[in-house]
Amino acid sequence: MTMDAHVDLSVALGELELANPVMTASGTFASGREFAAFVDLNRLGAVVTKGVSAQPWDGNESPRIAETPSGMLNSIGLQNPGAEAFCAKDLVWLKEHAPRVPVIVNVSGHTVDEYAAVVERLDEECAVSAYEINISCPNVDEGGLAFGTSCPAAAAVVAACREVTTRPLIVKLSPNVSDIAEIARAVEAAGADAVSLINTLLGMAIDVDTRRPMLARGVGGLSGPAIRPVAVRMVWQVARAVTIPVVGMGGIMTGRDAIEFMLAGATAVAVGTANFIDPTATMRVLDGVEEYCRKHGVKRVRDLIGAVSL
Amino acid sequence: MTVSPQPVLETVRVLANERIATGVGLLTLQAPRIARSVEPGQFVHLRIGVGRTEILRRPFSVHRAVGDRIEILYQVVGAGTARLARVGPADEDLDAIGPVGHGWDVPAGTSHALLVTGGLGAAPMGMLAERLAAQGVACVVAMGAPTAERLVARELFESVARKVVLTTDDGTAGTRGLVTVATERLLAEERFDMVYACGPEGMQRAVASQAAVAGVRCQVSLERLMACGIGACLSCVVTTTNGRKRACVDGPVFYAEEVVWYASEVPPKH
Repeated sequence: MTMDAHVDLSVALGELELANPVMTASGTFASGREFAAFVDLNRLGAVVTKGVSAQPWDGNESPRIAETPSGMLNSIGLQNPGAEAFCAKDLVWLKEHAPRVPVIVNVSGHTVDEYAAVVERLDEECAVSAYEINISCPNVDEGGLAFGTSCPAAAAVVAACREVTTRPLIVKLSPNVSDIAEIARAVEAAGADAVSLINTLLGMAIDVDTRRPMLARGVGGLSGPAIRPVAVRMVWQVARAVTIPVVGMGGIMTGRDAIEFMLAGATAVAVGTANFIDPTATMRVLDGVEEYCRKHGVKRVRDLIGAVSL
Repeated sequence: MTVSPQPVLETVRVLANERIATGVGLLTLQAPRIARSVEPGQFVHLRIGVGRTEILRRPFSVHRAVGDRIEILYQVVGAGTARLARVGPADEDLDAIGPVGHGWDVPAGTSHALLVTGGLGAAPMGMLAERLAAQGVACVVAMGAPTAERLVARELFESVARKVVLTTDDGTAGTRGLVTVATERLLAEERFDMVYACGPEGMQRAVASQAAVAGVRCQVSLERLMACGIGACLSCVVTTTNGRKRACVDGPVFYAEEVVWYASEVPPKH
C-alpha cells in the first residue's frame, strides 16, 4: 500500500452514519466548546455531550477527583444546567461551530419519566442526531447505576425513551454488574439501536495520612488506561451477545487502543480520560486509526469490527 | 475585567530547575507563546512526561514571565511534584496548556494594595507585585511561612513593595506566628483599596474576613484538584454565591465575597 491510499473510515451505528469511528466519551468533552481551540470538531465521528437532565443538577461536593495508578476516580455527579439551558447554549453553539459533526446527547435522569422527558424535549431540536441513555453513572444516589444493574429497570428506561423518539438510542452500560451481556440483551429487546460501554468502574481511594477518602463522596468511577483490559473484555462479550452495534470505550489513549476495541467487536469508539491529559487526543486517535489501516492494508475500517483471531 | 485569550498547547523546554528552599523548587521553562500572553494570577497546566502511572497534568501558577520564559514555584507534595523536582534540560516530553484562568483583577484607580502570602501562596503573586509596582500602585506585602528559608520570593517583593512584613511559625524571621496576625494589624493601621491573598484555604478565608471587616475588597486564588484545566470536566468546582464555578477558567482568582467557604475542604495533594 502507498501512503496516500484512501482508507474508508466510515461506520454506522444503526441508521446513524459516522464519517469515522472516533467519538468523545460523555463527561470528558463538555459540549465541545472548551476543546475548539485544540481540535477540529468537524473531524470527529461524533460529539457525545455531557449528561443532560430535565432540571439543573448541582453535582457532588469537592474533592471530585483523585488520581490513581494509570487512571483516575471521579465523582462529579452529573452537574449540568438542565435540558433548557443545554438547548439554548450548548446546542446553539455546536450548530454554529461544528455543523457537520453528528451530536449525540447523553441523557440522565432520576426516574424513568425524567429520562423520557429529556429525550422528548431534545427531539424538538434538529441539531441532535441521537441519544446516549446513561443508565450507568455510579455517582448519583437515585437513578443512574440503579437502572443499569437490573434488566427490567434498564429495559423500562429504554422502552420509555423509545416511545418518544425515532432517533437512534445508544444505551450506555455499566461494568458494575456480574453479567453485562444479559443487560445488553435486555436493552436490545427494549428497542436500543446500539450499546456503549464501559462506563466507569466503581472504585475508592483513601488518603492514609488523613484516613479520609480521597473523594468527598467516598466512592467514584474509575477511568483511564487502568480499566482498558476490563473494557475490551466486556466489549468482546457484549458484541457476541447482541446484533446491534457496540461503541467501545475505556482508557483509549492512542489509535492502536481504538483498533483493539474494534477488533474486540466495537463499531465505533469513544475517547474519554485522554482528553484531560491531551486536549488533542481525539485527533491523535483518529490519525492513529488511519495510520494503522494504511500500514496494515485495511481499506475499510469496518472490516476490523470483531476481527480478532481467536 | 480583561478577556483572556484562548490557551495554547505548547511544548516547553526546561531551562533550569533548582531547589530554593526545603521541598520548594523554582522551574524555569522556555514557553514563548505562553510567556507573551500570560497575565498575573493565571496558570499553566503542565504535563510532566509520558509513560508513567501518574497520568494527569498538574496546574501551576506562573510566578514570573520574562521574555520567552516563565517561572514556576512549586512545592513537592505528592507523586507529580516529586517527579517535577527531577526534570531537567534533558527532558523533552513536557508540554503546557496555558495561559489558563481568570487572574488578579486590578481595577482602575487602585492605589494602595495589600498582598498576603502563605507559604507557596507567593507563587501567583510575583507577576502581580511587579505589575502593581509598574502601574505605580503602592504595595505592602505580608508574608507567612513555617521558617525563614521558606519565605520564597522575599527578594522579589522587597525590590518592588513599599513594605514587606514577615511572619514565621518558628520566629526565624519577622514576627513569630501566623500571617493573619500581621494582616489584622496592617488593615487596622493603614488604608488599602484592595487585598490580594493566596495560601492555605484557612488563611485566605481569615484574610477575607479581616478585609471585609475593614471594608476593603479582597481577591483570593483558590486551589482545587483539576483534571482537564480547560473548563470541561467540572472537577475543580468552587461553591460561590452565584452557583458552582470552575477554578480553572472562572478562577482561580475570585473576589472573596463571592466564595462560599467550607471547613470540610481538604487541601489538594498532588
